Amino acid sequence: MRRIGYLLLAAASLLSVAVAATRPRYGGTLRVAMQASPTTLAVSASDSPVEYWDSARIMALVADNLVTLDAAARPQPALAIAWQNDTSARRWQFTLRHGVKFHDGSPASASAIAKILGDLHSDWVVRASGDTLTIESDSAMPSLLAELALPRNAIVKRNANNLPVGTGPFRVAEFQPGRILKLAANEECWSGRPFLDGIDIDLGRSPRDQAIAMELGKTDLIEASPSSSGNNGARTAVSLPLELMALTFPSNTRAKDSRVREALALAINRKPIQTVLLRGAGEPTASILPNWMTGYSAAFSTQPNVQRARVALGDSRQAPLTLSYDPRDPQAQLIADRIALNAREAGLTLQVSLAGAPDITLVRVVLPSADPATCLREAGRELNLPAPPIRGNSVDDLYAAEGALLDGHAVIPLFHLPVASAVSTRVHGWEPSRTGEWNLSDVWLEAR
Amino acid sequence: MSFRQKLLLLFSLTVFVCVAVISASVWSTMRRSFEAANTESANTVAAQFRSEFQRRGDEVVRKVEAAAATDLVQRIALEINRGGSDSSGYVTEARTLADQQHLDFLELVDGQGTILSSAQWQAKFGYPEPAIPSAIGTAGGFLKREELPNGSTLGLFAVRAARVGEQPLYVIGGERLDQGFLSSLDIPAGTRVLLYQNLEDKWNPKSLLDLNGPAAGADKFSSLVEEVRRSGQDSSGVIRWSADPADAESFHAIPLKGPQQLLGVLLVGSSRRALSELQRKVVSTALLVGGGGILVAIAASLWFTARVTRPVKSLAEAARRVAVGDLAAKVDVESRDELGELATAFNQMTVDLVQQKDRAVQAERVAAWRELARRLAHELKNPLFPLQVTVENLVRAREKAPEMFDEVFREGTSTLIAEISNLKTIIGRFSEFARMPQPQRRPVQLNEVAKSVLQVFQAQLQHKGNITVKSDLDPALPEISADPELLHRALSNLVLNAIDAMPDGGELAIRTQATDDAVQIHVSDTGAGLTPEECSRLFTPYYTTKKHGTGLGLAITQSVVSDHGGKISVESTKEKGTTFKIELPREHC
Repeated sequence: MRRIGYLLLAAASLLSVAVAATRPRYGGTLRVAMQASPTTLAVSASDSPVEYWDSARIMALVADNLVTLDAAARPQPALAIAWQNDTSARRWQFTLRHGVKFHDGSPASASAIAKILGDLHSDWVVRASGDTLTIESDSAMPSLLAELALPRNAIVKRNANNLPVGTGPFRVAEFQPGRILKLAANEECWSGRPFLDGIDIDLGRSPRDQAIAMELGKTDLIEASPSSSGNNGARTAVSLPLELMALTFPSNTRAKDSRVREALALAINRKPIQTVLLRGAGEPTASILPNWMTGYSAAFSTQPNVQRARVALGDSRQAPLTLSYDPRDPQAQLIADRIALNAREAGLTLQVSLAGAPDITLVRVVLPSADPATCLREAGRELNLPAPPIRGNSVDDLYAAEGALLDGHAVIPLFHLPVASAVSTRVHGWEPSRTGEWNLSDVWLEAR
Repeated sequence: MSFRQKLLLLFSLTVFVCVAVISASVWSTMRRSFEAANTESANTVAAQFRSEFQRRGDEVVRKVEAAAATDLVQRIALEINRGGSDSSGYVTEARTLADQQHLDFLELVDGQGTILSSAQWQAKFGYPEPAIPSAIGTAGGFLKREELPNGSTLGLFAVRAARVGEQPLYVIGGERLDQGFLSSLDIPAGTRVLLYQNLEDKWNPKSLLDLNGPAAGADKFSSLVEEVRRSGQDSSGVIRWSADPADAESFHAIPLKGPQQLLGVLLVGSSRRALSELQRKVVSTALLVGGGGILVAIAASLWFTARVTRPVKSLAEAARRVAVGDLAAKVDVESRDELGELATAFNQMTVDLVQQKDRAVQAERVAAWRELARRLAHELKNPLFPLQVTVENLVRAREKAPEMFDEVFREGTSTLIAEISNLKTIIGRFSEFARMPQPQRRPVQLNEVAKSVLQVFQAQLQHKGNITVKSDLDPALPEISADPELLHRALSNLVLNAIDAMPDGGELAIRTQATDDAVQIHVSDTGAGLTPEECSRLFTPYYTTKKHGTGLGLAITQSVVSDHGGKISVESTKEKGTTFKIELPREHC
């Protein structure tokens, strides 16, 4: 009997511990490390992927959009709770959430939001009427919801210090440009006060420094390599492929001959790069949009063919070309070297260099939306490609548009890459989205 | 050129040629010796380099062995044998190992020859390493061409295998064979080493390296490198950097071969400055000695030729004296050789000449007396005959016709007086020729003398009437110093002869003219002319072509001209006429 009593006591103790571990608690400051070292808090079109993700994640903590997209590209309510459009998709009407306030206490009224959006888009006509917001344009806007869900369309004002004032779960408490950003919980957040009291973001920390800080327990959330294994018990979350690594040709390139570009595209053996240099992360691709988004990526062949590359090159006596890369990307140089090695097999000489005007550039661009059309348009803009000729909403229309962009090898897609983050064991309730957002409003910290 | 000069030149040339031949022989021998010494030196340096190369190869082998024995390589080898297919973790390992072992190149290669990790080109994983099949089992270092992102280079490599299971893991490492390698070599002082990386089909000057990188003036080495590339054997040559031979360098080219092909050419060079300066000293000494020898030879030649030519010169001088009539010239006989015999013969010749001259003078004198006697007999015979006839007529008249004696006597005495007068004239002429006076010089205008002579003969010419006179007197004729009376007499003889030569008439021409150093007067007639024999004897005393001439006129004329330091000549053409030319020197003015 006594033995049974001990067993029951032990079971009760274990149960109480388990309940304590899973029950959210308020309080605490989440320590975050980021690579980016922004001097202003905004999402810029010229941001590198790292800067984009960091600024987008910060903005997501501070501000809200009218709508969001889930991983299936379905619009979800945010500041707008309902919407409708006319048949031509030129006029959209949004019903706004009631009672939402900015961090400075001012109401996030339709007129305030209309002003913010009107300032962002001069080609839109944005009108406010009560809790209703109307957006009109001369051209059809079938992807307006996806556009509004982009981080750059977050509803945010600027205070006297040019700091963002939004409606998100956290407000800016302190900002030392390029060094530290401290966020405090928005007590009056429309979605409810977050569990965390605040978030301290250490800016400008290299991936290595972040990993070491995580190892030493000095940080709770870092940007991780998709292929890295968790250190010190940290959990790593890997997104869907949200970045495109590709070769682009600047306007003053000497590689204007499409045969040269075709030969280069055929010469690159993507698989070893993905296996060895990317440590298995990402997907070899010859398309701009990832397969998870379109389903047809495999239709663009990634198989190398050196013989065909040599045939394509023919008697073209191409002078040595310069291949440049982003020096902030730790993997880029090695990948560029490998591409140069592949090209040499086909008879093309690429000199990997950061000096001078490059003929070819190895770039990473963000695929910022789960909506394929919006994503293709945004990626095309990042890659300096013309606007894609999307004729309709079908996959065939999208395929044709993407094929038109890739015709002539104006860009050579190489890999679709995921982004990854890692959190320490004291972080709970972290459910990062598959599209890269951190969703820290529901995170809580284990008591020390 | 004199005989002495010829002899001197001959001796000097002989000495010069001898000196030149000896110098050339010494130069050639010395050059061969120096070249042999230089080649030996280059071979020594080349041998030292080969030894150094071997040592560096052994060093690379040791480093590669150490790398193959590391835990890291052993772990990777173990993973390979366990079937680990993920080679992504090895990409950077080769660089780590290379840094540890201080190697420029290091690759980890699996049993199939596929690169797992490359220190020198990290992106090269998955590619085959072409050197592995032939390099496996190589004990020492070997040369290999290594492809790098920015081109190719040469390396000294070694390969070792880490065998943990059935699948070997090869470690192939090496050091770069470039200017850094050259600078690390222990090479003798005074030499330098260049390396040609034979990485292209054609000669590329940028592939020739010295301690500082691409070598300056690389194109000068192209022929030497091409020779080694062609033959695959050692070669040597001289690289000339300027016109100064001291700037040249001797290079010995050593082929550096890989397992299958020629991968490089090592050029071991040494300066030729010492050799050149030594050669220059030898040449200077040779020139000094040769020049001194030539000078001594010239001096000796001078002495010798003087000794040889002195008798010849004496002979020549004596011959010149003989030529001007000094038959007393003698030559000293100083030797008994050919020159001595020549001198003796010469002396004998002069003795003979004197004797012959004496005989000739005596004969001439006899001939002159005979001619004089003949002339005298001839001249005297003519008046004597009338005298004899007149006297005989007087005798005969006295005896046979006394009544006519007085008349005969008167006629006879007048004849006698006339003939005696004639005899006196003849005798006077002979006497006059015998005592020709010396010229009494004073400034004389020859034109005036000529005019005066023509004036004298004017009446006679007018009387004859068939002789025209043509006078062409140079108005610019200078005065000369002469005796006008004697000149008048000489010229009168010529004019008289001309008139006598034209019994049927003709033209008498007198012409004067001045030359640079003389004045001339020509007296011409258009008479019957003279034969060459007559011309040659014309000035001989008592020789005449006329019936009533004494033969002294032209002799007197010649005597006058000669006493004035001039000369007289005659030109005559049969049936056309005769011209006498008197030429008198101007310096007597």
